[in-house]
Amino acid sequence: MDFILTGLQTAILLLLQGDAQTYSAIAATLQVTGYSMSISLSVGIPTGFVLGYFDFRGKRQLRFIVDTLMALPTVFIGLLVYALLSNRGPLGQLGLLFTRPGIAMGQSILALPIVIALSATAVEAMDRQLRPALISLGANRRQLLFGILWEVRFGILVAAVNAYGRVMTEVGISMMVGGNIKWHTRTITTAIALETNKGLFSMGIALGLVLLLIAFGVNLSLSFLRKK
Amino acid sequence: MIPDPIFDIRNVRHCHQGQPVLEMDHLVIQPQSIIGLIGPNGSGKTTLLNLLAGVDTPTSGCIRFKGGILAPFADATRFQISLLPQEPYLLKRKVYHNVAYGLMLRKQYRNQAVKVYEALELVGLDSEDFCSRPWHALSGGESRRVALAARLVLRPEVLLLDEPTAGVDSASIQRIKEAVLSARAEWGATMIIASHDWEWLEQVCDHVLHLYKGRILGEGRVNMLFGPWRSRGDGLHEKPLRDGQLFIVSSPPKRDACALVEHGALQVHGLQPVNAEGRHVLEALILNLTLERSSGCLLLWATVGNLDLYARIPPQSPGLHLLPGKTVWLSYDPQTVKWL
Repeated sequence: MDFILTGLQTAILLLLQGDAQTYSAIAATLQVTGYSMSISLSVGIPTGFVLGYFDFRGKRQLRFIVDTLMALPTVFIGLLVYALLSNRGPLGQLGLLFTRPGIAMGQSILALPIVIALSATAVEAMDRQLRPALISLGANRRQLLFGILWEVRFGILVAAVNAYGRVMTEVGISMMVGGNIKWHTRTITTAIALETNKGLFSMGIALGLVLLLIAFGVNLSLSFLRKK
Repeated sequence: MIPDPIFDIRNVRHCHQGQPVLEMDHLVIQPQSIIGLIGPNGSGKTTLLNLLAGVDTPTSGCIRFKGGILAPFADATRFQISLLPQEPYLLKRKVYHNVAYGLMLRKQYRNQAVKVYEALELVGLDSEDFCSRPWHALSGGESRRVALAARLVLRPEVLLLDEPTAGVDSASIQRIKEAVLSARAEWGATMIIASHDWEWLEQVCDHVLHLYKGRILGEGRVNMLFGPWRSRGDGLHEKPLRDGQLFIVSSPPKRDACALVEHGALQVHGLQPVNAEGRHVLEALILNLTLERSSGCLLLWATVGNLDLYARIPPQSPGLHLLPGKTVWLSYDPQTVKWL
C-alpha cells in the first residue's frame, strides 16, 4: 500500500516541478488527440447529419455497420494502420509510421464511427416540429441545416466528448503506430503502460492524474455549454 | 374588380405512407381574407396548412401562390408565408432570440429590439419580463404565444395558424384574436386558421370551411351523423335517438356510413307541422342562437335526443319566436341526406 501513497506524492511533485518527460507525454497526447478529433468531427458530424436526417436506400444497413464499428478494438486499428503506413504498405511513402500524425490517423478511425453514430442519433431524436418551425420562420436549405445542428448541439457535444474519451484513453493505436518513442510519440497512456512495467508507479500515477484532470475539464466545459 | 387569388389550389392530392390524406379539387383563397378550417382529427387541416406553407409538397396537383407555382424554399414562399404549427417548437434560446430568429434569417437587424418588444406586447406578453427567459421557463400557453409573436414580427403576407388557441387561457384567446385581426388591419395579412374552437373561428374568420377525410364538405357548420343504420323496409333507413325519435335517411352505402345533413336542408318550425309533405319531422330543444356573420343568417343549435343539430334560419323568417330552451320542430327530406 505504501508504494501507492509514495507514488501519489512523487506524482504531485513531478507535476508541480514540471518534469520534462511527463510534460512531453502530455503534450504528445494533446497534440495527437487534437488532430484526430479535428478530423473525426469535421467528417463525422456532416456524415452523422446525413445518416440521421435523410431517408435513403441502405440507410439501416449503413447504420448497422457504423454501430458495429463503434466497438472496433484499438489493437486491430493499430494493426491496420501499421500495415498501411509500413514501408511495404500502400501509404508507406508518406513516412507517417512512428509519427504523431500517424497515431492521429489511427485515432481518427477510432473516433469517427462514434461521432457519426451519436450525431445521427441526436439528429434522429430531434423534435419533429423543428423542421417545419425553421422553414416557417423563413430558413433556406443551408439555414435549415445549421439551425438543426445548433438545436441538437447537446447531442453532438455528447458525441464529441465520448469520442474524445475514447481516443484519449486508448493504448493500442499509440503503441503500435507510434512506437512509444520517448520525447516523440510517447503519449500518456503508453507512458503509463511502460512505467508500470518498469515498476515506476509515480510517473504512471502522475500521468493518470493528468488524464483524470483532462476528463474533468472536458466534462466541466460540457456542463457549462449546456447551461448556456 | 375581383383581386387575383393569393392561393389557387387545383386537383391537389396528398398521401402519407400511401394513404390519401387530402383530396382537394379546387379552392381559392382571396387576399386579406381570414379563412377558418374546422373538422375532426385527421380531416386534413394540418396537411393543408403544411402544403400551403411549403413545408410539404403535394403528391400531385398544383398550388399557386400569387399566380406562381408554390415552391418550397423559394424566397416568395419563405419570406411571405409563415406557419404557426400545431405544437409550436421553440428554439433552445431565450425568448428574445426566438422572436428575433426570423428577422435574423431575413437579415433585418434594424430596430430589431423594438420589433421584438412590439410583437410580444401584441400577444399579451410583458416584453421586459419575457425577453430574457429561456425557452424552458415558459408554460404551454406562453410558448404558443411566443411562437405566434415570432411569426407576427415578420409581418408575413400569409399567416397560417394551426390550433392557435389550443391549451391557451381565455384571456390569451382574446389576445390572440386581437393579434390576428390587427395583422389584417395593419399590413393586410391573409390568414388561414385551423381550429376545433368553432365559436372563436366564427368571431375571427370571414368564412369557415368544414373538412372531413381530406375533403371540403362545405362552409359553416355541418351536421354529421354516424351509423349504424337499420333498414325500415321501405327503402329508407333509420337510427333511433335516445328520446325515442328516429332519424330517417335514404339508403346508406354501408351500415356504418356517415351521413351529412346540410344546415340549409333543415327547416325550422315554431309549431309542429301538420302536413310535412314527405319530410321527416323531429322535435328539438333550442340550445343556442348565433348570428352567422358571413351570411347574415341565424344559426340555430338544437338538441334532439342525444344528437346536436344545426339549422340555418334566413333573416326575417316570419312567425318564429326563437329562444334558447324553447321547443321547435325540424323537418328535412331524407332523400337530401348526403353520404360521406
